[in-house]
Amino acid sequence: MKRSRIVLSILVAMALLLAACGQATEVPPEPVETEEAAPPEPTVAPPEEPTEVVFERGETLYVSGAAWGPPSTWNPFQPGNLANTTGTIGFLYEVLFAFDPMTGEMTPWLAESGEWTDATTYDLALREGLTWSDGEPLTAADVVFTFELGQQYAALWFSNVWVYLTGVTAVDDTHVQFAFTADPLYQEWANNLYNIPIVPEHLWAGLSEEDITIGANENPIGSGAYLYESHGEDRNVWVRNEAWWGIDVFGTPAPARIVDIRTSSNNVALGMVIKGELDLSNNYLPGVADLSTRGYVSTFFADAPYMLSANTAVLFLNTTKSPMDDPAFRRALAFAINTGDIVNVAYANLVRAANPTGLLPSLSNFVDQDVVDRLGFSYDPAESRSILAAAGYVDVDGDGFVEAPDGSAIALEVTCPFGWTDWMEAISVIANSAQEAGINIQAATPDYGAWNTALQSGTFDMTLNNWANMSNTPWTLYNLLFRHPIQELMQSGNFGRYDNQEIFDLVDALARVPSTDVAGMQAACSAIQELMLTEVPMIPLWYNGLWAQFSNATWTNWPTEESAAATLPTTWSGYWQLGGLQTLINLEPVPAP
Amino acid sequence: MKTAKGSEFLFFALRNPKLRVGLTVVLFFLGLSLIGPLLTHNAPFDYVNPAGADPPSSEYWFGTTTFGQDVFAQFVEGLRATFLVGWIGGGLGTLIGVIVGFTAGYRGGLVDEALNMLTNIVLVIPTLAVLLIITAYLEVRGVLIESIFIGLTAWPWTARAIRAQTFSLRSREFVDLARLSGMKSSKIVFTEIAPNMMSYLLLAFILQFGGATLIAATLDFIGLGPTTGISLGLMMNNAVLWGALYLGMWWWFVPPGLAITTIVGALYVTNVGLDEVFNPKLREM
Amino acid sequence: MRRYFGRKFLIYGLTFLLAVTIDWLIPRFMPGDPIANMLSRAALNADAAQVLYTYYTHAFRLDLPIWQQYLNFWNALFHGDLGISTYLFPTPVVRVLLRAVPYDIALLLPAILLSWLAGNRFGAFAARTKWLDNTVLPLGYILTATPYMWLGILLAWVLGIVLGLFPIAGAYSFDLSPHLSWRFLSDVVWHWFLPFASLFLVQFGGWAIGMRNMIIYELEADYSHYLEALGSPRRLVRNYAFRNALLPQLSGLALQLGVIVAGALVTEVVFSYPGIGYLLLSAIQNQDYFLVQGCFLFIIIGVLVANFAIDIVYVLVDPRTRKGMTGEKA
Repeated sequence: MKRSRIVLSILVAMALLLAACGQATEVPPEPVETEEAAPPEPTVAPPEEPTEVVFERGETLYVSGAAWGPPSTWNPFQPGNLANTTGTIGFLYEVLFAFDPMTGEMTPWLAESGEWTDATTYDLALREGLTWSDGEPLTAADVVFTFELGQQYAALWFSNVWVYLTGVTAVDDTHVQFAFTADPLYQEWANNLYNIPIVPEHLWAGLSEEDITIGANENPIGSGAYLYESHGEDRNVWVRNEAWWGIDVFGTPAPARIVDIRTSSNNVALGMVIKGELDLSNNYLPGVADLSTRGYVSTFFADAPYMLSANTAVLFLNTTKSPMDDPAFRRALAFAINTGDIVNVAYANLVRAANPTGLLPSLSNFVDQDVVDRLGFSYDPAESRSILAAAGYVDVDGDGFVEAPDGSAIALEVTCPFGWTDWMEAISVIANSAQEAGINIQAATPDYGAWNTALQSGTFDMTLNNWANMSNTPWTLYNLLFRHPIQELMQSGNFGRYDNQEIFDLVDALARVPSTDVAGMQAACSAIQELMLTEVPMIPLWYNGLWAQFSNATWTNWPTEESAAATLPTTWSGYWQLGGLQTLINLEPVPAP
Repeated sequence: MKTAKGSEFLFFALRNPKLRVGLTVVLFFLGLSLIGPLLTHNAPFDYVNPAGADPPSSEYWFGTTTFGQDVFAQFVEGLRATFLVGWIGGGLGTLIGVIVGFTAGYRGGLVDEALNMLTNIVLVIPTLAVLLIITAYLEVRGVLIESIFIGLTAWPWTARAIRAQTFSLRSREFVDLARLSGMKSSKIVFTEIAPNMMSYLLLAFILQFGGATLIAATLDFIGLGPTTGISLGLMMNNAVLWGALYLGMWWWFVPPGLAITTIVGALYVTNVGLDEVFNPKLREM
Repeated sequence: MRRYFGRKFLIYGLTFLLAVTIDWLIPRFMPGDPIANMLSRAALNADAAQVLYTYYTHAFRLDLPIWQQYLNFWNALFHGDLGISTYLFPTPVVRVLLRAVPYDIALLLPAILLSWLAGNRFGAFAARTKWLDNTVLPLGYILTATPYMWLGILLAWVLGIVLGLFPIAGAYSFDLSPHLSWRFLSDVVWHWFLPFASLFLVQFGGWAIGMRNMIIYELEADYSHYLEALGSPRRLVRNYAFRNALLPQLSGLALQLGVIVAGALVTEVVFSYPGIGYLLLSAIQNQDYFLVQGCFLFIIIGVLVANFAIDIVYVLVDPRTRKGMTGEKA
């Protein structure tokens, strides 16, 4: 038996070593190329192995809440959630302008300035002295190259800009001219200016179509404030680019290293924040209101709603199915939903009820209050019942639920993916309050895959969606809500397949209003809102929070409502250029005691 | 002969401490699941406590969840689902196991080889992985479907045990005697062999019940259980998802796990007790 | 010997064939379209979505007829190519799996071996006196009846949060880069301990109970009484009983493998430990055909290999089987 014990302990030790070794090979074999101190010489430093293997706590920022899977691609053109590697756009690759939702202004980033010199020409001036992390200068040629990629490859998400863009030319090293058709979509263009990442021509010019559109782009070279260092199953490690061009302009970002952690579920992040292992968590954490009040974590607002509003949660109704094809029914439903319970109970006051138009608070000057006063809805079960009765929905068989005017029974389902805990509670509230008003709606939670398929193929009854994010223009919201034309698979909006040419025309008209014409935009929005609130094809319910809880243990000067110039405390994809990066630059390390 | 044996078993059964303890516990929980919902006027999913999560008190015996739902109400409803899965899943597993094992053991030859192969194959395939994949297909899942699938994958060990037992019984003298006297096969099966296997069946069912309960709790915990209703595994899942561990809401996850442990443990103890009753050799000690 | 192993090979071979076919079949009938799923959060314009959709469908060879996909699968299997993951695009499935395998081995191998050995010893020990038996028995039953995830949750809560002794998530700390050093290794062990403990404890209970029952059974056998009658010391009798009782415990181990794999899966979920079970769950939730296949395949192969290993050990340990194979009578 003694021999077996020796064998056993050897086996156990081997097993553990195996695990450790399995991890030691995680660091990519190709070395990270570091920069020489003297720009812009295109020499490449001799290959170095990453030297630091233990990160100094005082120099490292730990964030989570943005990545939901292991990092697998650093391609800035990878659509949506495929790019689990958050920070690809923001840390590595940069955009022409940044947008500050708090002030509503576009601030120069890679670009120095940009303006419409006439109705069909846009002139862009880049900053001087921009560089890529390998030493090459970032010039107008790179901008032209990037935009022309969209022309060559329909698979890139911004390729449809070429419907109204006719040509891009580099006037000189720092000036780019964009030429448009007679009727450009000004609103979409303004939106693109802070969303399209600029990639290096000298590295991407030789790549194949496959590499560009769906390649992983490992060991990426970008122009941004941080460089890729390493990654693991559940983390992505970025190291500060000491030769970043923006240091002179914006200041040095405080953390020397950023570790972006992918937590398997929200409650793990909760534990880490409480223990101070996480500096910033952008997860939705249960019980945060309580924790914030007790001082375990800090949030943007010291009181309810604690969080800024990030996007609108909209209940999409499948207008191809009866009785949701009846505007009266939809309107009655809008009055039946107890949004107060969703805000107060399901979310414990971490969110706010939405404006019936769906526009976020940051875009509130595009809300036509007159229209809202006339046609808006709120929780009013009595009103709901009277609308139903007036439209012919009566409870014939006495089961407590109304039947349709033609006598057919109504039995609907409101769905959300299983495991999305906050939404699961929300749809439960929706179902219950609808039932109280006499509408038979049950809550169901299929798995994400099944739910998503139903969403895109239009087989659901009603479900939630919250892609209407913070934006510089109300057009993005209405483009999402009233996406057209209606196709077999609706992948990017109008999931309820609301088919109304009038409203499509109104949205298109809005797209064509120049961004400087605020009055014109307001008028266009007013028309859209009037039609939307009469027809109620979808019901905006609440504003999801920009979940952010941070710890002041190691890093401080986080943005709060008290800050002079508050920025967004978030690491979410698509938000770096909305102020996320600026937040990091403003951070200050807590001095060691 | 049968009645004498029967009363002999009963005598020892009533005196066997393991059996008494085990059965009492199981019956207690069964009773709780039946009358529990009557003891509380809260439905499991109602938001009854505006203050949110509260530890156990005289008003809420098991406390409330993050949303102010009554944990006790969820607990007793969950018990029902647990017992249902145990009965159906365990019953189905036992049934299939008995049929396969018995047929293999009694017939022998090629039938035995084929069934043996089938048993071995299903035995080796890790059932949870299969269950995961199958339950992920189904968009809407109920307790019934879950039980059926559990039953369909849990039978192999029962089949093996029954087969071994059938083998040994088949070659006994009284069976040969019955065959010699010209009895039909089916009659032999029912009158001579089956009664001797009763004890095995009972033991197997108890173990299957326990096993089904555990598998169901596991599936529910991962999130692949029934999409409507509540169960003990689902309570644990919710508790973990909503950070009960970090926020110290022990009353949310301790009762369900404790209940499952106690019920299954009691079942195992009952099993051992019954084994002692049926098998005199084990009665000492 | 040849006949014995020949039969075993046949069974394992058939099992492998069937399992691989099921493995290939099942994920394909999952509801939903994985490519559409993958593109879902993209909010792409219609053209881009269409082009990418065609791209990916072709890249994953999903546009071939079903029977051709099946044959391609076997072909690729023998080349060690299990396709590309959609959830972790564009990482190949094999790469993803190989990253997760060391964690499972590190968790399962010690847990199974240690719990089996320790549990059996302990169970035998408990069968000595009535007093011991009455204390050990309930403990064993409680442990074996405990669902794996509940024990995991309890350990995480008590040892991880309340007492703060162990971390309860991940495989190694976030402030370390993997490298071979004592600090890193000890960090790995520190993260490994709680998941290992919850697997170990539940199985330990099971083996202890099983051994205790078997010992009692053996002590009532004829040879035990014979030896006692001859005046042998109790220790000798117990030793023989123990060795004999080990055999059914060994075959019991083979039967338990499926259950243990299930236990490892939930334990990984509780502790966010990046093993294959956890990966399988993520893959299912993200509708990743190829990754589900790969995980399932690895699990099947692992279980088959373990079964085979146990069969070999059985032959080595049980002289009757050895002699039976060479034709001699035991």
